[in-house]
Amino acid sequence: MARLFPAPPSTLTSALSRAAVHFPNRGVSVFDSRGRAHHRRSYPEVFAAAQQAAGCWVAGGVEPGDRVLVSLPTSWAFLDAWLGALLCGALPLAVAPGAALGAGASQIRKIEALVDRLDPRRVLVTAGFRRSAEAAEAARILAVATTPEEIAAQTSASSVLPTPEPSDIAFLQLTSGSTGHPRAVSIPHRAAVHNIMSSDQAIGAPQGSPAHEWAETMVAWLPLHHDMGLVGTLFQSIVGGLDLWLLPPGAFLARPRKWLEHLGQHGTAFAPAPNFGYQLCVERLDAASRVGLDLSNWRAAMTGAEMVRPETVAAFCEAFTPYGFRPEAIRPCYGMAEGTLALTFDIKGEGMRTRPLPQGADSSAGLNEIVCVGEPIADTEVHIVDAGGRPLADGEIGEVVVCGPSIFAGYFNDPEATAESLRDGRLWTGDLGFLHEGELYITGRLKDVLIVRGSNLMPHEIEWLAESVTGGGGALRTGAFSVARGAAGEEPVVVVEVNEREPEKLRAMGQEIRSNIGRTLSLPVADLVFVRRGRIPKTTSGKVQRRALRDQYLRGEIERLETTDEN
Amino acid sequence: MDMTQKALNVVAKVSGKDVAALQPELELVADLGIDSPKALQLLLDLEEELDIEISDEDAAKMDTVGDVLAFLNPA
Repeated sequence: MARLFPAPPSTLTSALSRAAVHFPNRGVSVFDSRGRAHHRRSYPEVFAAAQQAAGCWVAGGVEPGDRVLVSLPTSWAFLDAWLGALLCGALPLAVAPGAALGAGASQIRKIEALVDRLDPRRVLVTAGFRRSAEAAEAARILAVATTPEEIAAQTSASSVLPTPEPSDIAFLQLTSGSTGHPRAVSIPHRAAVHNIMSSDQAIGAPQGSPAHEWAETMVAWLPLHHDMGLVGTLFQSIVGGLDLWLLPPGAFLARPRKWLEHLGQHGTAFAPAPNFGYQLCVERLDAASRVGLDLSNWRAAMTGAEMVRPETVAAFCEAFTPYGFRPEAIRPCYGMAEGTLALTFDIKGEGMRTRPLPQGADSSAGLNEIVCVGEPIADTEVHIVDAGGRPLADGEIGEVVVCGPSIFAGYFNDPEATAESLRDGRLWTGDLGFLHEGELYITGRLKDVLIVRGSNLMPHEIEWLAESVTGGGGALRTGAFSVARGAAGEEPVVVVEVNEREPEKLRAMGQEIRSNIGRTLSLPVADLVFVRRGRIPKTTSGKVQRRALRDQYLRGEIERLETTDEN
Repeated sequence: MDMTQKALNVVAKVSGKDVAALQPELELVADLGIDSPKALQLLLDLEEELDIEISDEDAAKMDTVGDVLAFLNPA
């Protein structure tokens, strides 16, 4: 199965031309939004289309270093635009195209916040979104908005495209879906290539050779605005010369069986997903709909981007082992956009391994058994430190701190946030965990971010939406956090201080808060709790202490005000 | 069975609620707990059961049960 594998590329730009030259018989197949028909292009065709798109960007005035936002669903229009921006030396940034139901207005606010923060030359959106922006008179967006149809109508400039240095920034990635304070990480070419090559090595470790030597196919559905989608599936395939079968996320969410069907059909495969993807397969495919699947080709099933839940892995193995799935194919990993993608990988290939939560530890993820996420990728060190930055011994829980060549260059145009995360050349992850015999176990996190179905949400965003209903935000405060609810993963809880006591009025207010959060973020609130004024713990300067609030909630110490709400 | 009834049956199945409880003013996300995986399931189930097509743009306007029904029976 071994193929002639050229030297690794030095940049993502050269990775594209390299794939066109060395892997002409491999390519990318992109499915339509319902996962029915697909359109395939070989790597030479992918490269040619990206060059054409790069010429269109140049003709439209895009210069090296300009930010180009691409807010489109998974499609060839997305790939051409993003890869074209990369080739012309601009900094492409993929932005989620908005939730499926409702959420039109919040998408406009989100893009506006990004335009303000990143000052992009162009924002590529669907014609439908632009009509909404026109109706909302969103002038700052309209000044830079363009659509795939307009780009295609542009005559491609035949200028010579730049050759970037490995140390140059290749692209930007968003770290959370926040409307208020978007943060975009700057990823140098060198970091991206290092991460992809290290992952290739780590994925293949149990087989004794890098993944590109034995894998033929990747079947993926992760959104391309997510690091695991962009780096872990698209670029992992381009660099490794794999045939990539790309389902839009919605096609998987609607019909998870499609992912598993294709994993069985196109040769030796590997594929990543967050925990909730595996959980969705277990929940949606009953015994009858599993019949006919053949998962024996699936050699590495990476699970990361959110807490790996032992019960999910166990349920998935139980459900799909009869259909050829190999439990040892489960490969927990850990990473984040600030590390390009993966920072650690389970390279033993023995299936999921767990350790009990150390005595006295507070697992903010609600787990007693902690999944091993493996050892650091090549050239990378992982340390566990206490609050004062001192290294801790094996088995002791502290903050996970990482250094290595895959670490990002900083947050774009946000020196304050950069200084907080990147200190002494090390990435302070904000995650909590412990080491055992050189392998990492994640137990929770220091940061207040909520991670729901693999996506990060900032708590203040939810709090604003609640406070805009109650008129709070001054004396009356709100605290949002997430709690683990069984195998489904984490769900948001919102605690709101009120002066109101009348149960019927509180019910109406609760309804409005749920509606505001639901319409804006497409997020159902798992629990909404009203408390008396002053009951939310705060620092002396008045900042909400979300972790303390969450601890109180988990211990059942919160005194709820009565409402007539059945929830 | 008419389109409205078929659509209500789909919403009931995806949300796990009783079809009799599906008032038009109920919100799909906030009231029926339709998170993003369920939203995509709902759209595809509606398309297949009712033999229609729902564009992303139309889906983006659906906040409530009533919005779904209005899409099927435009005034």
